[in-house]
Amino acid sequence: MIATATDLPTLPAALRASGPAERRGVRRDRVRLMVVDRAAHEVRHTRFDRIAELLGPGDVLALNTSRVVPAAVRATRASGQAVQIRPCVRRPGEWDVLAVQAAPPFANVPLVPGEALRMGAVSARVLGRRPDIPLLWRLRLPRSEGLDLVLRHGEPIRYSYVPEPVPLDDYQTVYAGPPGSAEAPSAGRPFSWELLGRLRRRGVGLAPLLLHTGLSSYQDDDFDAQHHLYEEWFEVEPPTAEAVNRARRVVAVGTTVVRALESAADESGWVTPRRGWTRLAVAPDRPPRAVDALLTGLHEPQASHFDLLRAFVAEPLLRRAYVEAIERGYLWHEFGDAALII
Amino acid sequence: MEQLNGTVALVTGASKGLGRAIAIAFAREGADLSINARGAAALEAVAVECRALGARVLAVSGDVADPADRERLVSLTLDRYGRVDVLVNNASTLGPTPLPQLADTDPVAFDDVVRVNLAAPFRLARALVGGMLLRGAGLVVNVSSDAALNGYPGWGAYTAAKAGLDGLTRVWAEELTGTGVTVVSVDPGDMDTEMHRAALPDDDPASLARPEDVAEAFVALAVAGRAPAPRVEAADLRRAVW
Repeated sequence: MIATATDLPTLPAALRASGPAERRGVRRDRVRLMVVDRAAHEVRHTRFDRIAELLGPGDVLALNTSRVVPAAVRATRASGQAVQIRPCVRRPGEWDVLAVQAAPPFANVPLVPGEALRMGAVSARVLGRRPDIPLLWRLRLPRSEGLDLVLRHGEPIRYSYVPEPVPLDDYQTVYAGPPGSAEAPSAGRPFSWELLGRLRRRGVGLAPLLLHTGLSSYQDDDFDAQHHLYEEWFEVEPPTAEAVNRARRVVAVGTTVVRALESAADESGWVTPRRGWTRLAVAPDRPPRAVDALLTGLHEPQASHFDLLRAFVAEPLLRRAYVEAIERGYLWHEFGDAALII
Repeated sequence: MEQLNGTVALVTGASKGLGRAIAIAFAREGADLSINARGAAALEAVAVECRALGARVLAVSGDVADPADRERLVSLTLDRYGRVDVLVNNASTLGPTPLPQLADTDPVAFDDVVRVNLAAPFRLARALVGGMLLRGAGLVVNVSSDAALNGYPGWGAYTAAKAGLDGLTRVWAEELTGTGVTVVSVDPGDMDTEMHRAALPDDDPASLARPEDVAEAFVALAVAGRAPAPRVEAADLRRAVW
């Protein structure tokens, strides 16, 4: 089901967070927090670090510990043309990538099946378009090459609302672990260890899992509007499955956590340890079963994000939240403010 | 008995001297290793030695003071092993030798010493301590020096950085009390290493400890997973069971 949220107010450009809160002189855990309270049917406004007052014993925060990789990778075509490739699905010896211009506006670049792309001393072969998502290209590369190629030749993917380069460190959560996300799982970015420690002392459980995020945009508005989903790698280990199954309330920190936990849950919401690829789309016609509440960043209502949120919140309340967030000047995107749906 | 089976350890500055000795000692005890140093060839030689002892070894060459190199070290290590249980911040530089007095110290060289000896250990530990906190276990060992506590002429930049590292360790250890994660700085004492010879060429090697012996103190710390105090001397760790 595709969201039709065109009647929502347009997001003013000034509300797109242009960089990390710390660079605005605000501690990462002191960004703003909008609370969408479904039971009370109201929207409240507070500060992120006061989330501790809203959570308590029996609550479990499920965290995506995936580390962001510099997924805008410099490559050179046989013609000598520089191109940027953005790997979103990486398997040994084979990547699915978006190929875009090497500089803004990063429009898609049609590759030629059979051509070679060079990344440093390594050559990758273009196999062709991915049949189900034709803006993605399949590349073959030596099996010994993988993550290190990205680390050596990449920089963080940056959209136009972030005008200056931001160090990769600034995209990471304070609990970032194994690397693999093409873009930041940013809902958890406002957490500090001081705050997580306070939550633990209040009896809130922390349950780590892994989902390596793909790309949020194909650099093509029409294509983006069609919500093409591809597979993402996730891992839910036994201690996290147990913690989630025991929890009074499971709060997913980010939509990536919803996707991972729901991919590991059966119809009754019981979570079994699992690792693998998922293409699950949580939406009103496939509501969450294991996750009770959601902490999320603020993303454009046109994004597929809106569809997922509608699986949590009835549309009238969700629309009110969007309107209030804009009216009150909340900052949006990966370096912006946050919302808690409880 | 292999006392570090199942322990993932990251050791910087592991191509020679104390770092190499720690890597080999950890390998002998069955640890899974990620080792780092600037020189790829010397680092690979240590990796070969450690693998010969049966250890799994990832060798990532690079400068810990360089953000991209440091990110490669962290990411490749976490990609390979999923976590780091023990971080040994051993990579260190004296700056130019013969050691100049502070009034003659090149400010650029001063900054480099602080970057390598103080800022890099902080940044590396910061990148890894989050995972340790989630698991409720972990050990960060910062290699310090008696220079941190003294005023040896010529050691200005090094002393400032190592004293800073001790201070960082004290605060972090305090902040992490009760979390299961330990941060400790270890004064290894005077050792017969290339660095010592560069700083004090007239010292009699026979009067100096061998890095292989000092490394046993780091094994003891890694096995215990905790430390008796935020700052310890290697000689005491080798002597005592605490």
